[in-house]
Amino acid sequence: MFQDVVMEFPYKHSTGTTIGRFLAGLKEQKRIWGQRVPKQGVVVPPLGYSEIDGSEGGEWVAVENTGTVTACARVHTPIDHLHPSPTPFAFVLVKLDGADTALAHVVTDGLDRLRVGSRVVADWRSDEERVGSIRDIACFRLVD
Amino acid sequence: MSTLRNVAFVGFAQLPVVARDEHRMATEMLYPVVVDALRQVGASRDDIDYQVSASTDYMDGRPFGFVAALDVMGSWPARQDLHLEMDGSFAAYYAWVKIQTGEVDTAIVCTHGKTSEGEPERVFNLQLEPYYHAPIGIGPTASAALQASAYMARTGTTDADLAARAARNRAAGVGNSDNQVRDAASAQQLQGSPWAIEPLRSGYVPPIGETATCLVMAAEGKAEKLCDRPVWIQGVDHRAELQTLGSRDLTRSAGTALAAKKALAMANVGSARDVDLVELLSVTPVEELILLDALGLDAAASTPVVNPSGGPLCAHPIMSTGSIRLGEAFRQLSGRAGDRGVAGAKRAIAHGAQGHCLQQNIVWVLGTEKRWA
Amino acid sequence: MNETEPPKDPVRYIDSNVYLPYHYVAGDYRAKYLRALKDKKILGSKCSKTGKVFVMPIVNSPESFAPCDEFVEVADRGIVTTFCIVNIPVIGRSLEIPYVAASVALDGADISIFALIQEIKAEDARMGMRVEAVWKPDGERQGDHEDILHFRPTGEPDAPMESFIHRL
Repeated sequence: MFQDVVMEFPYKHSTGTTIGRFLAGLKEQKRIWGQRVPKQGVVVPPLGYSEIDGSEGGEWVAVENTGTVTACARVHTPIDHLHPSPTPFAFVLVKLDGADTALAHVVTDGLDRLRVGSRVVADWRSDEERVGSIRDIACFRLVD
Repeated sequence: MSTLRNVAFVGFAQLPVVARDEHRMATEMLYPVVVDALRQVGASRDDIDYQVSASTDYMDGRPFGFVAALDVMGSWPARQDLHLEMDGSFAAYYAWVKIQTGEVDTAIVCTHGKTSEGEPERVFNLQLEPYYHAPIGIGPTASAALQASAYMARTGTTDADLAARAARNRAAGVGNSDNQVRDAASAQQLQGSPWAIEPLRSGYVPPIGETATCLVMAAEGKAEKLCDRPVWIQGVDHRAELQTLGSRDLTRSAGTALAAKKALAMANVGSARDVDLVELLSVTPVEELILLDALGLDAAASTPVVNPSGGPLCAHPIMSTGSIRLGEAFRQLSGRAGDRGVAGAKRAIAHGAQGHCLQQNIVWVLGTEKRWA
Repeated sequence: MNETEPPKDPVRYIDSNVYLPYHYVAGDYRAKYLRALKDKKILGSKCSKTGKVFVMPIVNSPESFAPCDEFVEVADRGIVTTFCIVNIPVIGRSLEIPYVAASVALDGADISIFALIQEIKAEDARMGMRVEAVWKPDGERQGDHEDILHFRPTGEPDAPMESFIHRL
């Protein structure tokens, strides 16, 4: 005897100034901002504080839309209601030019050419589609 | 280094790990295990001063669901109790600390959780920070795969290397009747398995499995009465790393290296090479290589013996997996490991981990001798 | 580009959706209890040490730690040990507000179950009131918790406090 149940909860997470302004930067400026943080360098995306010693984040630093893949994991069988694409894609960590930390995101095309070390560029959603979310960047795509 | 109380593991019980127990709820699986553990040490529940339980409500799908374990742990008359939303290897640490205070002398450390009820890839996505990481949909296999790709890129480790590592664990796991996966598999077979999330093949990651476990711990003076060959805690330490995946060096386990350094120093043991066996909570061959590196061990060396139990690849009942590492070390050092016993073993390291990409690690140094006079 | 900082006005929230499917195994004890409801039977399990009967049946007594491996049938009627009057609607159910939620000690059981009391004016609810189960009609019961629709007063004299005070 068993029961199948789906628990579904919508959440509205309040962001705070740092995360909120970073997301506003994606939405309104199509810019990716980092924050200079003691002992970490330019943190992208920023939290507003250092994860190492809790000290406050400092000045905003704009980073490039381009970067280098530091890790990539190809998903051949996406999981619905979890993965961001219904067709094969890759999770990536991307160190954007100017940043000292890597951003987590996805690459959806050119998977067979994708490697650690690949150069990628952010692919933005249209002005109407951007809402102030990390997914205002639709994905990263390989720079040939 | 101050003198601490000598505390030992004196008993360990578990159910064989299965894909899904069709007959029992999670806490119903725990009851016979607690009974068995007490029987092993010849104690009644009233002889045990302290109880710690480890599980995660997220996997159980029940907020405060962990409270149900109280009923099966013998919580009346009212007991001193602790619950952790963590693997049992960390729960044992809290029991150790409590015993160090002198307030209690004996403890049971219980784990439960039916991995088959929820979907870990979804559940543990929620461990990630909700603004930048969780919305991307990264689960624990995905983050392990990201770690694997970075590690392979830095070190030149190949798919064949991972297959060989996995095959080693599978071979070791064959004789262990508590394992879910008990058939050997060649490196070639494992390398031929389909991708779980590339570069991790399904042959390199454990299947979903569940069990319940109970460790019994006792301080010097009581331990010798409960067990013919208590396994003494000589050192222990745990360290947490940053949460943000992209802010960490995923190819190294700085936390394990530091925890090992501290635990070995507490144990007055020069290096991990001085122990006879190591049980690692390595869910993938990449984690295993990273952990061995962090412990200062050569992955190609034949001693210390790594994962004589078969390791988590053969059984990964989430929340219990670390307790099983401790349980295996207990069995090995107390002469209860049967045919898979490492001959003459006197010292062991048991490792536990929690979070994505080995974010938090605990290192136990255990031995047949008491540490403090 | 001209900006030296991101916009001054932060995006205030992000929307996220937690989606978690679960496959729960009832376990033999609960399955047996639920199946018996189809036959209008309510089962408990008996502590092998103290003889206390727990409804729903559980594998061991939380009090004595001993196994409860004997199943016994208890009555489908009992006593309201305590209750409350609820003014908050239940999402997903069309219950008339206010309603009475009670703890009911079934005859033969040593602990109480939670029950919905209907066919009563809320202000008439009281401790010690005798109630009986109202079952779904024959042919409609599935062997699940909805087989008991609710409990209603039987009209019998109230039970004295001594008879239920230890079964709250």
